[in-house]
Amino acid sequence: MQGPMIDTLVRQGVSRRTFLKYCATLASMMALPPTAGRAMAEALAAARRPSVIWLPFQECTGCTESMTRSHSPTLEGMIFDMVSLDYHETLMAAAGHQAEDALHAAMKDNAGKYLLIVDGSVPLGIDGAYSCIAGRTNVDLLKEAAAGAAAIVAMGSCAAFGGIPKAKPNPTGAVAISDIVKDRPIVNVPGCPPIPVVMTGVLAHYLTFGRLPDLDDKMRPVAFYGETIHDRCYRRPFYDQGKFAKSFDDEGARRGWCLFELGCKGPVTHNACATTKWNGGTSWPVESGHGCLGCSEPDFWDAGGFYKALSMPADPLKMGAAAAAVGAVAGVAVSFANRAKKHRAQSSHETTTLADLEK
Amino acid sequence: MTPEIIPIQPSMEASGNAPPLLREIADMLRRLLESGESSAIDLSALPLNPADLDWLRQKLGRGEVAAQVQANGESTFDETACPGVWWVTHRNEHGAVVAQFIEATCVPELLKAHPDDVAAGCEQLEVLISGL
Repeated sequence: MQGPMIDTLVRQGVSRRTFLKYCATLASMMALPPTAGRAMAEALAAARRPSVIWLPFQECTGCTESMTRSHSPTLEGMIFDMVSLDYHETLMAAAGHQAEDALHAAMKDNAGKYLLIVDGSVPLGIDGAYSCIAGRTNVDLLKEAAAGAAAIVAMGSCAAFGGIPKAKPNPTGAVAISDIVKDRPIVNVPGCPPIPVVMTGVLAHYLTFGRLPDLDDKMRPVAFYGETIHDRCYRRPFYDQGKFAKSFDDEGARRGWCLFELGCKGPVTHNACATTKWNGGTSWPVESGHGCLGCSEPDFWDAGGFYKALSMPADPLKMGAAAAAVGAVAGVAVSFANRAKKHRAQSSHETTTLADLEK
Repeated sequence: MTPEIIPIQPSMEASGNAPPLLREIADMLRRLLESGESSAIDLSALPLNPADLDWLRQKLGRGEVAAQVQANGESTFDETACPGVWWVTHRNEHGAVVAQFIEATCVPELLKAHPDDVAAGCEQLEVLISGL
């Protein structure tokens, strides 16, 4: 633990205005009221750097790639400057025994206080032997690290839901973090990979309020996963008008019509791609002409085929023809409910304090 | 390749969601006058398409003040033809818009110098004076 965050940032040449601007932008992306930026800036500036331990299990390093190659490294990096990343195999300079020593020192010094980030699923087949680090199985390492963690962030679909390692026939017996750890607060940040700002948003929320954000029934932060891709899709009007692309090179595709019939999983996928987009806000899958794969939902890999329309039987997302119609109607209702919620927050005109945000 | 040259464009007709915002802005401005309280509308959180934003921008017009802040990309603070109503655009270092607000305030918060920064300015001046 070091001094207040703002001192660290100022020493690194980050101006106060840059910091305030960053908080305003972050509050906007987290769907907090606009005046929350200032409250966040005050709380974040005074926050102390928490210890973060990042454990990689059955994963492809795509989640770390997503983070480290995010569009504005200075801004995303700012959040990383706000934490003390004590263990991350891919990013740390130490190796072998030195790395293991760093891990155990961090766990001991910050017992009960560190934030544990995990990417990758945990194999339980043949006593966990499919994935070992320093001669120990993932499940063993996870249980040890989780015991002293204040909270756990399951980063990416593998850690959150089992992901691709869990795809049928699941040869390694892969499971999600929440299948093993039952006595610690867990937040799932799914996506293959997750959107970088979602990750930093969760960290900023934790730093600002000292607790995890509000979660949905799949333990995902509501601020980012509260609406479906379909709810916020700019091609939604074409869906409502019944204008669908029937193949990837027909007239409908060229005119940018809805990709529902080409297998888009947008109506059943909760994520923020349609609003935050990818690659510095350049584009996102649907904007580049391909349907959503549903990568932030459990078992998306086995959801019946990326190019099969949802109206066809698509176990395990369980979208029959009737369910698709219901889903679409529910989508509209949810979309309006959320708009109403945001509007209320915005039209209340109160100067937002930290206490208000915690309500 | 920039998105502009891709021949697929979403519908660009105004959605009709912008006009009600004028009443909200008027309400914010009255509140500023009565209690001195600043408030803001986050434009990226509302279902507004580019045509809606153009309409709003054009209706609000341009005022006397236009300020720029270079802080990890440019931020612009343009007072509209309605004094006290500011159109605020934050850009990243590549020039892409990352957030857009309408603020009802006498001076936007980001333009003011923080007391700690003012203190740093004082120290800097002392150094300059001691070198005379």
